[in-house]
Amino acid sequence: MNGDFVISQSDKRPMYFQIMEQIKQRIAVGDWTEGQTIPSIRQLAVDLQVSVITVKRAYLELEREGVIVTHQGKGSQVAANSDLGARMREQELEQHLEQAARIGTQLGLRSKDLERRLRATCERLAETKEEFA
Amino acid sequence: MTDLAIDLQGVGKTYRYFALENIRLQVPAGTIMGLIGPNGAGKSTTIRILMGLIHQERGEVRVLGHRMPAEQVAAKWDIGFASEDMRLYDSLTLAWHMNFIASIYPKWDAAYAQLLLKRFGLHAEQKIKGLSHGQRVKAVLLLILARRPKLLVLDEPTTGLDPVARHEVLRELTDVMADEDRSILFSSHNTQDVEQISDRITFIDRGRIIDSMDKEAYMDRWRRLRLEIPAGIEVPALPGVIGIKRSGRLAVAIANEFAPDLANAYETSGARVHAVENMTLEEIFVANVEHSREEVNS
Amino acid sequence: MNRSVVGALVLKDWRLQRPSILFSSAVGALSLGMSYFKGEVPFVLGGVWFFVSIIVLGCMLPVANVVNERKKQNLAFVMSLPVSAMQYTTSKVISTFGMFLIPWLALLAAALMVILGGHVIPHSIIPTVFVLEGFVLMGFCLIAGAAIAGENEAWPMTATLVCNSSYGVGFYLFGRIPEIQHDWASPAAIWSPIIQRLLIIEVAVVLLIIGLTFFIQSRKRDFV
Repeated sequence: MNGDFVISQSDKRPMYFQIMEQIKQRIAVGDWTEGQTIPSIRQLAVDLQVSVITVKRAYLELEREGVIVTHQGKGSQVAANSDLGARMREQELEQHLEQAARIGTQLGLRSKDLERRLRATCERLAETKEEFA
Repeated sequence: MTDLAIDLQGVGKTYRYFALENIRLQVPAGTIMGLIGPNGAGKSTTIRILMGLIHQERGEVRVLGHRMPAEQVAAKWDIGFASEDMRLYDSLTLAWHMNFIASIYPKWDAAYAQLLLKRFGLHAEQKIKGLSHGQRVKAVLLLILARRPKLLVLDEPTTGLDPVARHEVLRELTDVMADEDRSILFSSHNTQDVEQISDRITFIDRGRIIDSMDKEAYMDRWRRLRLEIPAGIEVPALPGVIGIKRSGRLAVAIANEFAPDLANAYETSGARVHAVENMTLEEIFVANVEHSREEVNS
Repeated sequence: MNRSVVGALVLKDWRLQRPSILFSSAVGALSLGMSYFKGEVPFVLGGVWFFVSIIVLGCMLPVANVVNERKKQNLAFVMSLPVSAMQYTTSKVISTFGMFLIPWLALLAAALMVILGGHVIPHSIIPTVFVLEGFVLMGFCLIAGAAIAGENEAWPMTATLVCNSSYGVGFYLFGRIPEIQHDWASPAAIWSPIIQRLLIIEVAVVLLIIGLTFFIQSRKRDFV
């Protein structure tokens, strides 16, 4: 169940963040369903060969975002609201779009130019067959 | 509340050309502590003091609740120690060493030992002198791991290992974590390993502890900011920033106490923040040591 | 609980030194065997090689058993075991002396057998044999103590030099004592007061060296 998490140290994002990402992915895609018990912090740490504190942090942040719930003595489960994963991605997209808009303005682009650039980027990515940016 | 597997308070030892000063080090039970520092910083000395092999001149040392060096025998029943300069007996076989250890320690797990032989790719009947460096390191670790000690004290456990061997070793070390009563203290030049598996990190340089804290919180305090500073703008020295390197209009600032409004502070002063990047432990290591040496010299 | 760790360490030392012990014991036994042959030359040669084999063993054993452990960096491995510096010293004293004493005693017994069994050598030589063997034992003690208390080869090497140059002088001086010379002439063994005093002194020196070794070890603050 956990063997297929892949944490890369060459990834610029911190390890705890990658763990959060991959958990959210599994929920968003439906592999992990609401109410499902997820591995204990220590167990996941052992499986991923990372420190307990890193997994602990990932779980804390996920709980703060409402993606998982932890009950004392009963471990952690996927939170009841199943499209939470999707909602998180929505939020992320919003943030990125805002940032793109801000930088675009700095560069002096108009919204039509920005649209064109976005379309070109989508086409380029589709060509290189990357599914998740 | 938590038991401390290792507790050093105010430990000091003076040699002719080097002194360990005021070492305070705590490893809570069930955690992994990574000890990093340049060569000659005092890592090995500190480790030998907590093993009771060297007597401290000042301060208190408690390991698994035992005072060291007075109670070192009691402590060593539950400690597995491996250091870089430790050697097994060349003319004897690995199997002899396994029997030797098994005859001393009641907790020796023969089945686990056999499993480790397989995982590490070692042959019990081989003489130690026929082993490569990596195999010797793994042999020593096998002898320690198979008796499931409560505390592992490892001085450079992955130094000189090829990537596959390193991975094998890290896997066994993290397996130890499954038991929340067991702890590990390891020193390493390999900042990647320390970054990956440590719960806490301690930095030591020139006989003094520079930093000792929770790894995630620590890594979170450090950032590299890539700035663009237009001509004519003077960027103020901001709190939490330990250094700025400029080349032309571009600059890189290193912060060791990053707060989200640091980027805003720069923007307000007229600079543009191109990126705020996390730093690897290796980059933090170098920046930290340089910074602390500057501070000592000033 | 810890007598077993000391025991395991002693057994380990025996296992490591086994080849050399057996070899020198064999050489010593062969030398004695030579003495059985008729004639003065085989007797003298046999006797000389007999002593030489014990002396060589005495010089080599402390270095092989003690100093090499430190040089080859095995000491950190040993001290990682549940054993204190004093217990380590005890195991070293037991194993080093034990490994020397076994061949020493065996050869002493063999020498006595040759003297008592064959009817060539006068029994008056027996006390002399004891004193001379005691001499070699004292020398060995000094070398072993130096190897254990000192931390490098220089100490036992110096002790070896001192001892080897003293044996000759010691034997010579011993042989010059008038009572001793007089007693050699008799066919039976005479345990004169001088012989007894010498033997007591030898035992005392051995005990003193061992005590001093333990004392020095107990004062060390940096063990590895």
